[in-house]
Amino acid sequence: MTGVLAQAGSFFNMLFSVPVAYAAEEAAGEHASGIHVVLKAEEIGSLFGFPITNSLLMTWIVVALLIGFAVLFRRKIALVPGKLQAGIEMLFEGVLNYMSETLEDEKLARKFFPLIMTIFLFVLIANELAFLPGVGSILIEHMGESVPFLRAPAADLNLTLALAIISFLVIEITGVVVLGFFKYAGKYVNFSSPVNFVVGIIELLSNVGRLISFSFRLFGNVFAGEVMIAVAVFFVAYLLPVPLMAFEVFVGFIQAVVFSMLTLFFIKLSIMDPHGDEAH
Amino acid sequence: MEQLFDAFGIDGKLLIAQLINFGVLFVALTWLLYKPVMKTLDERREKIAKGVEDAELATAKLEGADEEVSRRVQGAETEAEGIVASARDAANTEKARIMKEADARAAQIAVDADLRAKEAAAQALKESEKEVARLAVLAAEKVLRKS
Repeated sequence: MTGVLAQAGSFFNMLFSVPVAYAAEEAAGEHASGIHVVLKAEEIGSLFGFPITNSLLMTWIVVALLIGFAVLFRRKIALVPGKLQAGIEMLFEGVLNYMSETLEDEKLARKFFPLIMTIFLFVLIANELAFLPGVGSILIEHMGESVPFLRAPAADLNLTLALAIISFLVIEITGVVVLGFFKYAGKYVNFSSPVNFVVGIIELLSNVGRLISFSFRLFGNVFAGEVMIAVAVFFVAYLLPVPLMAFEVFVGFIQAVVFSMLTLFFIKLSIMDPHGDEAH
Repeated sequence: MEQLFDAFGIDGKLLIAQLINFGVLFVALTWLLYKPVMKTLDERREKIAKGVEDAELATAKLEGADEEVSRRVQGAETEAEGIVASARDAANTEKARIMKEADARAAQIAVDADLRAKEAAAQALKESEKEVARLAVLAAEKVLRKS
């Protein structure tokens, strides 16, 4: 946990310096030629006073695409599967089997499958769609500034924090529901011995810290990838960004896996009996 | 904290919007994708299990049928052997009876023939005695006439 915090700390330093540099550049009036790096998603419009950012718009596109695919796919589901159905079934069965092994409970695995799968699919598609041409490069005019029309959804802390909150709530609520409130609370507030008390407090902190580690891990990876590609494009616009983009495609997949798998592991941790109750 | 939120553009409205986005996606995918696919998988698993069970049942039935067939064939063979044996027995008895009858008849015929032959011989002897007597009378007459 401390490692993650240290990482996040150095990450903050790096990121805070970037928008400053950018702001200086903008002040110098080199907006069009500079590297367009903004830490936060930019507003591209508003609806009844509700701000609409480029990341939010991209998120809507991702959600719409996934739901559209599901609607189309649902009609073609048959007992004798086609290639696409066979592939999707293989993915689902693989994930479900893995979850059953991890949670050591098939019923529980089936219950959590939709959540884990949705996190995976959502993060994966959100990350990979961001590499489509046009995302980040099509600019529109808003309040006198030209801002990118679309932005990678996970390059906005609002989205990653929302996912982290969902993940966090599911983990904690599952712990309470499966173990019962007092048993679950006993994991963190434990007066049986000073050592157990300290361990419990540390675990409590690390649980809350997951909100930060979850959200900043995904945000940092995606945002850093965007910055790296933007810098590469700024220096050499052709060929050089290709391997970097290929790597970022891979990172996008890995982050989807990491986010969903960590949620799964933490669910498993939260439903495990507290230490001491187990026969060691 | 305020500064931090501002730097990262964290906005309560956007955060809630993203929570809703994920919620909508979660519900939609659960109903449109996961449930139907899982249902199909379960159905197929059930069907395959049933198929395997049926095949096992059919194999068992076939084995039973084979056993029944061999049992019946064996029964039929035994029965046929019995029939053949009893037929042979009957034939042998019949043969013996016929032979005995034939023997008896042959003996009867032989006896009859003997009897008839004796009768004929006796008759012939009688007739020849008569003839001899008549010839003797004739010969005597001749002799008398000459003298």
